[in-house]
Amino acid sequence: MAIVTEYYLLLSAAVFCIGVYGILTRRNALVFLMSVELMLNAANINLVAFSFHHGNLTGQVFSLFTMAIAAAEVAVGIGIILVLYRNFQDVDVTKAATMRW
Amino acid sequence: MAGAFDFVPAIAALPLLAFVISLFFGQYMPKRGAEAGIIATAGSLFLSIWTALTVAGITGSATSYNENLYTWVVGQDAGAVTLHLGVLVDPLAALMLVIVSLIALLVHVFSLGYMNDEGETGLPRYYAGLGLFTASMLAFVFSNNLLMAFMFFEMVGLCSYLLIGFWFRDDGPPSAAKKAFLVTRFGDYFFLIGVVGVFATFGTGLFAPIGGSEMASFPQLAEQALNDGAGAAGVDTFGYDAQTWFTILGLLVLGGVVGKSAQFPLHTWLPDAMEGPTPVSALIHAATMVAAGVYLVARMYGFYLLSPTALAVIALVGGFTALFAATMGVVKQELKQVLAYSTISQYGYMMLALGTGGYVAAVFHLTTHAVFKALLFLGAGSVIIAMHHNENMWDMGGLKEKMPVTYWTFLSGSLALAGIVPFAGFWSKDEVLFEALIHGFGTSGALGTVYLLAYAMGLLAVFFTGFYTFRMVYLTFHGDARSETARDPEPVRWNVKGPLAVLGIGAATVGLINMKPVAVLTGAEIDFLHKWVHGPDEGGWPAALSTDLVHYEELLHDAANVSASYPVGGEQTTLLVSAALSLGLAVGGVLFARSLYNAADPVEHTDKLGGAKTLLMHNYYQDEYQVWLAQGVTVPIARAADKFDQGVVDGVVNGVSSVSLFTGSRMRRIQSGVVTNYAALMTLSLVLLLLAFVVVGGGV
Repeated sequence: MAIVTEYYLLLSAAVFCIGVYGILTRRNALVFLMSVELMLNAANINLVAFSFHHGNLTGQVFSLFTMAIAAAEVAVGIGIILVLYRNFQDVDVTKAATMRW
Repeated sequence: MAGAFDFVPAIAALPLLAFVISLFFGQYMPKRGAEAGIIATAGSLFLSIWTALTVAGITGSATSYNENLYTWVVGQDAGAVTLHLGVLVDPLAALMLVIVSLIALLVHVFSLGYMNDEGETGLPRYYAGLGLFTASMLAFVFSNNLLMAFMFFEMVGLCSYLLIGFWFRDDGPPSAAKKAFLVTRFGDYFFLIGVVGVFATFGTGLFAPIGGSEMASFPQLAEQALNDGAGAAGVDTFGYDAQTWFTILGLLVLGGVVGKSAQFPLHTWLPDAMEGPTPVSALIHAATMVAAGVYLVARMYGFYLLSPTALAVIALVGGFTALFAATMGVVKQELKQVLAYSTISQYGYMMLALGTGGYVAAVFHLTTHAVFKALLFLGAGSVIIAMHHNENMWDMGGLKEKMPVTYWTFLSGSLALAGIVPFAGFWSKDEVLFEALIHGFGTSGALGTVYLLAYAMGLLAVFFTGFYTFRMVYLTFHGDARSETARDPEPVRWNVKGPLAVLGIGAATVGLINMKPVAVLTGAEIDFLHKWVHGPDEGGWPAALSTDLVHYEELLHDAANVSASYPVGGEQTTLLVSAALSLGLAVGGVLFARSLYNAADPVEHTDKLGGAKTLLMHNYYQDEYQVWLAQGVTVPIARAADKFDQGVVDGVVNGVSSVSLFTGSRMRRIQSGVVTNYAALMTLSLVLLLLAFVVVGGGV
């Protein structure tokens, strides 16, 4: 039997909230990145769930693209974290606070 | 075969070429650029004479020329204005071309003596200025539309500025140059509005129609509008009565004329302009540029004739200026100052003639004045060379024996200026006054009264003219030498004497071209200038251009309601009485000057004038009052406007920027640089947004 769409949405909301919580509370850049991935994937779950609900494949195809873009984003993100580490000998995001006015 | 008219543009192009050559290669030439100018103006003179002969019909049948040569703005829509550069050659233009190029040539030659021999520096700049001036003036003369005339009018003003300020390292000349520029520009401001008004009203600025009725001229359209109504002529009078509107336009253009021809109240620049080199004074401020204003009125005379009010203003301004300037000339101590005021006065006569319907008289006086005033200025230049640039007449005296050529030619010019028979000025001034007299008596209403008033002022000025002219002659050349330099003056060379001789003979004889009194008395057909402006009897070329005398006389009678009547007997008696009156006054002035100043050691008599002396010495406080206008009125207004601009207009702009600067400086504090804070803000904002959607309903 098929699972009801609402459960998927609840799961997605939960994953998203975990991601937001991670971003707001953690200082480690790697954890930041992971949290962002969580939020992205929560959106993916939503896309797939609605696609399934409407019997339309567009959402699922879309989520494939999102994953590809997430991969690229992670690559860039890790690059930034590497540079951050090289400059501050740390991956604490609150240390790099000079890029402002 | 190429005729004279194909070369008319070259009359102006040659001096322009000389300008370029003098400016860039002048310092490599032995005479520092004078060669180019002399050759170019000689070429212009040759072409001008050829043109004049062609117009007169001596080289073939009499003809005229009016073509648009170059279109520089094309009007696309219906009713849009197309702007052209074109050439109009009719008797008036041809005559003026000859005068201007002749005087320009003589002044270039004279400059060899006045500038080169005196070891002046910066001569390429000087000759370049003269060349550009000559080119602009000649182009102005053959302009066939009002806009082109305006452009060259301005060029002429620019050259005047450059040449007055030639000795820019001294204090006086730059200031005089600025004054001349500003005062004439003030008049030209009205002229510019007038030009725009003419184009907006008629859609054309042509002085004379091209190809019959194909492209009508604006005086023609104006005439048509008065006869058949503005609508029939396709003329937009902006809600005014056609007559009123044409008067307004005419007076606006007259603003430029008053400025350039140094008429009251914009005459103040001309005496100051004497700071420039004397040949420049001769060429620009006496013989040609100042003539541009009067020439413009003569050029569009068909338009002014349609407005009796404008004619009355011209006559009154002219008559008043003639008298006003003549009285100031009486007390001046410097040679060139006397001549400057006499110039203003003589142009007053021309305006008087134009205002009172004496078209031929005005053109005649323009011609004779150009010759004798150029002569007097060049003579003054010769004296100034001899006196080592001391211009005070009280330091001269006794130069008669030392410089005979200058003396006799200067005397010829002075007799012409004073109006003593048979020198040039007598014939022309007499005709001016005669026309004013008969038109004053023949015209009913206020216009006739104005004419008679203007005539009276002009007549009175004759006496003063005779007086100051001969006061100048006696003080300069007669009596004993009153200073060391006057006892041993520096000799002048052929390049000074040559032009003086040519003009001296001219001043004595040029009046013979229109001896109207003799013509009327004897019935001999010797009023050549009259015939020249009149054209062949069968109509022919002048009628095609509607700039002929026949047409003007019709307009004068029908549109302006000016007619002639002879107060004393018939035409002959009136003519004799008028001539005797002006001659008598002139001789009276000369004799009075003789009695006061023809002594071995003359003394100043100006103190006898009492309070009037102070008034005259200060030029009727005209300068003071204009300075007051500038400093007492214009400056406070400008200051108030500046305050408004700085306070209100700029205040709003500055206020906006300081508000945003302030809020920006406060707002940027939320930028902590810590990523976590940004993320928190973003989350918070998103939540708030969602909450807002929930509250409002989101469906809006």
